[in-house]
Amino acid sequence: MKTITVKYGVDQISKQVEADFTFGDLRESDSFKAALGFGDNTKALVDGIEQNRETSIPEGATVRIETAANTKACARA
Amino acid sequence: MEKTEIVLQNDGSFVERLVSERTLNVGQSVLDTLTENVCRPVHDVFNLPNWGTVHANVGLNDTLWSVPLDRIPLHARFKLINQVMVPMFASSTDIEMPLVWKVPVSVKVVFGVLTKAEDGFVSVEGNWLFACDQDKRGFRLPLPNLHDDCRICTGQFEGEQETALECVKASLDQFAVSKWNSDLMRTIEQSQKFFRFLPTKDTFEPLPVQGEWTSLCNKVSTALYERVVI
Repeated sequence: MKTITVKYGVDQISKQVEADFTFGDLRESDSFKAALGFGDNTKALVDGIEQNRETSIPEGATVRIETAANTKACARA
Repeated sequence: MEKTEIVLQNDGSFVERLVSERTLNVGQSVLDTLTENVCRPVHDVFNLPNWGTVHANVGLNDTLWSVPLDRIPLHARFKLINQVMVPMFASSTDIEMPLVWKVPVSVKVVFGVLTKAEDGFVSVEGNWLFACDQDKRGFRLPLPNLHDDCRICTGQFEGEQETALECVKASLDQFAVSKWNSDLMRTIEQSQKFFRFLPTKDTFEPLPVQGEWTSLCNKVSTALYERVVI
């Protein structure tokens, strides 16, 4: 197990997760989503650097979740 | 400048330390690199007629202008459901009206304009529409034409102007006149609980949001939202 801190906007939570818990696991985690209120379209950053889904989150890391831009087109008159 | 220090160590011995200092002539490029990600909020930069005070967040390469809104122009199609006028963004048959939704006191709505100084002109890099609660949590309003990160699509307009002020004005003018359609639409039910109007004899009075307003929105956190000045 390892403890990580996750921030989303002004809210944050520290929680114990499995040792192999990755940034992708975090972005898909229902419990983190429920606690912090983020959705499906996100990215995970550490010290401002976007992290790969497959990368394991280091023990004690503070991860910042951000809403990602979507690529759907919009046309408006 | 040089100075000599005599240090008495724990074991009773003395050590002479020579300290040399000189002022470094740091160039502007070094300062720029060190402050590349530093942004400064500036309140009350200018006032726009019909919109009010505009704040800025000034970065090295761009500026985010924040315009607190007291209303949202909703030029869209509407339908009367249970005596309440609600938007029907995806409809092509319901009546089209330019209604104006007044922002309740519990909600803060900010229109963002990102500008960048180019060679001889200033360009609009994008527009955003954020809702915020009292603790400055960011939310995406239940509106179409809004991306997940609250970037708003307002249609084509002249995004290159002589000054940043004109960029902000052009963005707001376009925001005021563009029609809302169903692009990037989510569930209409949330929109219809949020944007409600009561038909009266002469006009349409905005009604309070049905339920807790944050439950009808999506929470948002982006680097750009962090720069919003409220």
